[in-house]
Amino acid sequence: MPLITPWRSRALTAALLAAVLTTSTACGDDAPGTSAGGSIKIGLLASLSGTYQAVGTEIRDGFQLYLDTHDGKLGGRQVDLIVADEGNGAQTAVPAATKLLKQDRVSALTGIVGGGSVAGVTPVLNETKVPLVGSNGRPELKDVSRVWHTSYLSDEPGAAIAQHVRDNVKGSVYAIGPDYQGGWDELRGFTDAFGKIGGKLANADGKTTFTPFPATTNFLPYFARIKASGAAAVYTFYAGSAAVDFVKQYAQSEIKDIPLYAAGFLTEGGVLNAQGEAARDIYSVLNYSPDLDNAENRAFVAAWKAKHDGSPTTYALASYDAAAVLDRAIGAAGSDPTPEAINTAIGKLGQIASPRGTWQFSTTTHSPVQKWYLRQVRQDGRALSNTVVGDLATVGR
Amino acid sequence: MIAVAAGTNRIDPYLIPALDGVAYGLLVFVAASGLVFCFGVANILNLAHGLLYAIGGYTAAALLDGGWASLALALAVGVLAAAAAGVLLAGLLTPVATGNHLSQALLTFGVALAGGSLLVAGFGPDNPQVQVPAALEGSVMVAGHRYAAYRLVFIVVAAVLAAALYLVVRRTRAGMLVRAAVDDPEMVACLGVSPARIRAGVLAAAGALAGAAGVLGAPIIGPGTGTADTVLLLSLVVVVLGGLGSMAGTLLAALAIGEIQTLGVALLPSAAPFLLFAAMAAVLAVRARGLAGRWRAA
Repeated sequence: MPLITPWRSRALTAALLAAVLTTSTACGDDAPGTSAGGSIKIGLLASLSGTYQAVGTEIRDGFQLYLDTHDGKLGGRQVDLIVADEGNGAQTAVPAATKLLKQDRVSALTGIVGGGSVAGVTPVLNETKVPLVGSNGRPELKDVSRVWHTSYLSDEPGAAIAQHVRDNVKGSVYAIGPDYQGGWDELRGFTDAFGKIGGKLANADGKTTFTPFPATTNFLPYFARIKASGAAAVYTFYAGSAAVDFVKQYAQSEIKDIPLYAAGFLTEGGVLNAQGEAARDIYSVLNYSPDLDNAENRAFVAAWKAKHDGSPTTYALASYDAAAVLDRAIGAAGSDPTPEAINTAIGKLGQIASPRGTWQFSTTTHSPVQKWYLRQVRQDGRALSNTVVGDLATVGR
Repeated sequence: MIAVAAGTNRIDPYLIPALDGVAYGLLVFVAASGLVFCFGVANILNLAHGLLYAIGGYTAAALLDGGWASLALALAVGVLAAAAAGVLLAGLLTPVATGNHLSQALLTFGVALAGGSLLVAGFGPDNPQVQVPAALEGSVMVAGHRYAAYRLVFIVVAAVLAAALYLVVRRTRAGMLVRAAVDDPEMVACLGVSPARIRAGVLAAAGALAGAAGVLGAPIIGPGTGTADTVLLLSLVVVVLGGLGSMAGTLLAALAIGEIQTLGVALLPSAAPFLLFAAMAAVLAVRARGLAGRWRAA
């Protein structure tokens, strides 16, 4: 008998392939814009392909909406917007950003979905001395002298809702989230603040349960543990397809009657449509909701709905606000708005009127000091939508 | 570490994960059996197998509207579309020598990439929603626990499918040819059965099985950009664990995967990221042939 039988070798082939498949590769390509003389060049980097395509598209459209409603001008200057594809992460984002900064020589950069991409791009920003007004991903950064964000820090949603959960839940809370940097930050924000005010976690060892990401598609085994823990409520953070799986399975599981609190991304944008009826009654915390009652928001939502199906998301809002920040900063930067002058002007903006309510940049983190809202998924006409049911804390440092 | 549940019964909290493991395992079985057939019988390494499942999944998402008729329609369309894709693959594979795994892998992987892009282009990058018949939308009580009604029914349907598959392989002429082709392909060729026909037939059958699994399993492993990879990966693990020649081995491996992914995760959540591959490595280390030996009779 030969040492390796034909189908033993096949089994080994299969094993090798299984190993290879566990690491996946991704690619993306840029879409360079055209340039016209005499105007200010702004670079927008967002994931227009890959896992975060939906978020990247919202970010592009949010920025474009601001331009469309302001005669295509920022700070009185015609904008030459150069859009590039971030792809799935730093691997594709850094070359695309380098091209925008060094070849197209943009005066400011905006967008960027992934925190890893931001971390990768930051050294190039410092080298070329161009400011970034980011509208989504925000990693831990040592030097934020040229980095500004109109979104939030990942641990802020949890910190903002902790007091509300403490006041309204009689008993312990089970914390569960995805096992990657974003998930750690989101859940730490909640558990730290919740613990400080005397809240108790229902998790067996008093620590958050983290599920493998993105491999986990079946949450039933975790639900069995939540049931056994006797938790009075669940706090979680998932986004994208994991959010759809989590919510749909939760609604059919034995813990479906346990109140579910979450960072707003669990039910934000397209995922809510996919979750459908299963998402009803879920509480979430976010810095924006399309039904906020203020003049800026009414104008923003009306302009958005004229061009797109459905309501704007927090992603589109953050990008819209990034354009508003650049609008005012370029205007304040004087007759020669160099990247340095724009960066200095951003630091002096003060209060910024926005569809989310007024906010301002923190002087230490360069991310917003803003109010957070408690939302619940409720019927709105024919569709389910996130409805604001109350104000939570104003967070930022 | 096994957490001891409060109350009188320490098994109780793990009932639902164990039951869910059966549902998951049977889905993996129906999805993977096509790949095992291809690999074991026609000696074709079909890396586009996950794509065939995804075709079924997207069909379900596109056609299901909450009624029973749409489920029947989706099942018919999904099975036919995936089987047709299997025949197409067989045609593409004609110039590739049987048993040349590298060429087969490259060709079918290319097809999988192109097909995956086509599905995303056609159905969008978001994971589409799958609407099961309204009667199965809710949940039922099983031994005092709430469990998704659809999954419970799926266990029954998948078990029937598995039994039917067994009977076809054991009792029909097609099944006999398939089994004969496992044992002695030259002799089958001498009997006047063209290898190309067996190849097309096996790939069509594999496609039909994957398509059926894709439609019925869409609420469990739903269609999306990563579905094809997930299903291919699980199917390859089934091949490693269960070997190639036996339905019993495939079933055993699939159920083991199901239980590892559910009961295993419930018992050892901290080990969840590597539980499946640790089990695979252990089986390979102890017994490279998989859990069951080479199977001829049953």
